[in-house]
This record gives sequence, C-alpha cells and structure tokens, in this order.
Amino acid sequence: METITEQKFKFNPYSPIMDADPFPFYKTLRDQYPCFWSNDVNMWILSRHDDIKRAGVEWQTFSSSQGNLVDELPGRSGSTLGTTDPPRHDRLRKLIQSAFAKNNLMHLMDPTKELVTEVLDRVLEMGSFDFVQDFSSQITVGTLFAMMGLPDEDHHEVRRNVILSIQSDQETRQKGPEHIAGFKFLTNYVEDIVRQRRADPKDDLISRLILAEIDGDKLEEAEIIMTSATIILAGVESLSSFLSMMAYNMATFPDARRRIAADVSLMPKAIEETLRFNTSAQRFKRVLTKDLEMHGQQMKKGDFVMLCYGSANRDERFFRNPDVYDLERNTRGHLGFGGGVHLCLGNMFARMITTIAMGEFFTRIPEYYMSVEELDWNPSTTFRSPVKLPLTIGK
Amino acid sequence: MPQITYIDSDGNKHQVELPLGATIMEGAVQNDIKGIIAECGGSCMCATCHCYIGEEYLDKLPEMEEEEDEMLEGAVAPRTERSRLGCQVRISNALDGLVVEIPQEQ
Repeated sequence: METITEQKFKFNPYSPIMDADPFPFYKTLRDQYPCFWSNDVNMWILSRHDDIKRAGVEWQTFSSSQGNLVDELPGRSGSTLGTTDPPRHDRLRKLIQSAFAKNNLMHLMDPTKELVTEVLDRVLEMGSFDFVQDFSSQITVGTLFAMMGLPDEDHHEVRRNVILSIQSDQETRQKGPEHIAGFKFLTNYVEDIVRQRRADPKDDLISRLILAEIDGDKLEEAEIIMTSATIILAGVESLSSFLSMMAYNMATFPDARRRIAADVSLMPKAIEETLRFNTSAQRFKRVLTKDLEMHGQQMKKGDFVMLCYGSANRDERFFRNPDVYDLERNTRGHLGFGGGVHLCLGNMFARMITTIAMGEFFTRIPEYYMSVEELDWNPSTTFRSPVKLPLTIGK
Repeated sequence: MPQITYIDSDGNKHQVELPLGATIMEGAVQNDIKGIIAECGGSCMCATCHCYIGEEYLDKLPEMEEEEDEMLEGAVAPRTERSRLGCQVRISNALDGLVVEIPQEQ
C-alpha cells in the first residue's frame, strides 16, 4: 500500500549527485525499473547490459539520426558519424576509419612517448598537481592534434572550448549560451582549417574529408566540419576524461596500481577494466523509429531512449561482482566504447595513447594520493569526469 | 548440427556444435572461446573477430562483401588469404568439420 510520504524514484542526469556517483541510481534502475521514463530528461532510460547491447546493434529501431549526446549541440545531428544511421553512416565511416586502425597509428607511438616524458618531467618537479590540467589534457590535445595534423599553438583555447561543449546547465537542464558558444568556437576553428586545407591539401584527416566522395558527390560542408569538430571533442575530452578516471581508479585502488607499476604489461588489462568500471562515456541517446514494448513499458515511435553504458558495465546479470575493480576479470562484452555500428571510432587510438601515457605515469609515479577528499565533477549528461584531479606524489 | 573446431589464441582446441545460421563469431562468444573480442557485436565495424579459416573450407564460405574486405585491412594480426571476419560467416552444413584459428592479437 502506498503511503502519502512515499517518494517516487527519480533519475535526473542534471543532478550534481548523479555527476558525482551515478552507480546507485543505475542499480535501482536495473533492479526495479529496467525501462524507466524520466521526467527530468524526457526520455526512456535503459540500464541493463543486454538491452543496451541490443539497442546498439538494432540501429533500425534505435536510430541515431536525432542526436546521440543526451544534450545535443546545434548542427550536429545528421552531420556526424554518431548522429547518422546506416547506410550513409557506413559510407562516411569507411572514408576515415583506416586512419584510426591500430596498424596505421604506429607512427604516433614515438612522438607520444616523447610528449609523455616531457609532461611527466614537469609533473615530477611540481610534486602536487592537477592531473587533468597538468597531465591528461596536455597529452590528449598534443596527440590528437598530431593525429589530425593541426598546428601546435592552438591547444589552450581549443581545450577550454571543448570542455564547455560537453557541459550542460544544471538549472535550466539544457545547453547554456556558454556551452553553445564553446562549440561554435570549435566549429569556427575547424572551418578555418578547412579553408586552409582546401587551398593547400595535406596528407591529413581533414584534407581526406574535403577530397572524399560518396557516390561521386563530395561530402556536405556540415559533414566535414561537424565530423572533424566531433573528433576533436572526442579525442581531446573523452580521452582526457578517461585518463583521469584511470588515475582516479588507481588512487582508489593502490594495490592494482602497484601491480601495474611493477609490471607494465598489465596495462591492457587495466585499461579494459577501467573502461568497464568507469568509462568517461556514460550515457548516450537514440530515438525510436517504431513503437516498442520493453519490460512492460509501451515506448512510442519518436521517443528518446537513453543508453546507460556505465550501467551496462556494472550489470550483475553480465559481470560477476561488478562493483569490484578486478584486473583478472574477463572484460569481454564491456560497453565502455559503446558497441554496435557506432563503436567508438577512436577506440584503438584511445587504447594506444592510454597504454603509453598511463604506463609511463605509473612507472615513474608508482605512489601518489588524492590531495582532496571530494572531487568536483563536470556537469554533463553524457560524460563523467572530474573537473580537477588534485594529486600529490608520494605515500 | 555442424561441428566446428576453434583453435583459440592460446593454441587450445575446442570442438563445438553450432546451429545453422549462427556466425563463427557468435559461436566463439557463446562458447567463451579465447581471442575473439567482437567489440562491435557483429556489425562489421571493428575487425576484432578476425580469424583464419581452414584451407579446405575456403571455397565453401559465403563470398566476402566489400565491407568485410575493407574492415579486414584494419585487422591487427597479419591478413592472409585465409582471413575472414567471424561475424560475417554463417554456419552451413557444408562447413561441418571446419577448423578456425584465432590470432593472438585483435
């Protein structure tokens, strides 16, 4: 019998409580409301592994065409890989995916190692530092820019605007003017580069998009700009966030960290387990192309559906003892890079950069701790990462 | 049901029966065969279900489409004429006795 004081469960991805720790909410969803209509974000929330995996594969029903970021940015839908359905998606992805294949990224290894060494030398001198500002963002901007053939001196401004782009306003529950402006800066920046490359093509990603053709037609201008801007967003911010989540995990689980520091060949396992445990890419959305019933809920064509990858990865129906960080675990099936046709384009790039950057980090800094009790988390409905991660070297 | 032998990425043999229509990738994942990752869940978008098909069965397989051919170029382990993506090969009676080798790296 319901009492008048009974609180109904709410799932509000704008809440700072959710930013800080979504996992208890995910558990309630999985166990009690596996298909939940959230009034706070006006979409259905899916939280179980098998449902989310299915949604990723069944793109005909779970379409990306109306956007995939929970709070979308203007101009993206329909013009990026993540916001286009097959068959156009597959044609577009084919144009650039070879640039992201593992074997074609090898030339970045040495420059990345050099950059990591340089940044770590500085960090070691500092003693206490902000992992985000002083390490991870330096690495990701540097490596992503090298990968895309972008000039060195633009790092700081680009990074500042990238972070704004992924945030949302917690009060108004949408993108605020500063967030929109951040993304506009990025797209303007890309437009400038596109102009330069059109006049003087180089052997790089943006030039490839400019010169590419699908069925004899060049790509739409919006596709070139939005796809490139999204790659910058992902490569700079998602990856920096992921490195930060890994550093955070290893502050919380020093035994795991010491094992890696003693044997850096464990890095690949640690990366997969951190992807499972704490992917920075927590929640994305789809739109339904038809009516669908799930778990007794009648979802309608046109309804948005949130895929909580971060919840799928903690689903006890798929991973035993999911809330334990376990380097020995079989992590196959984790959705830290999403899954289905939109599997993160940069997954091999991310793994490579993380292996080098964090391998070096734990080797040279095997002992460190968080210099604060609580972290401030980025207000984002899609991503999860700390604004700063203050660390001190030593025991 | 057709019998398939997987040689996993550690070199261990596993004999399994697979239903008609299942893919080599699905058979590997469902039987927990080491070395097939299948990160994209069978969408021909990741090349982590790369495997080497037993010589005698090569011409009994469904033909390779352009998508698979392109993705195989991105496979981590060396591509040979025996290379296929497990998610693109469905089991038929003609494949009874097939031996599939899984590379060490995906």
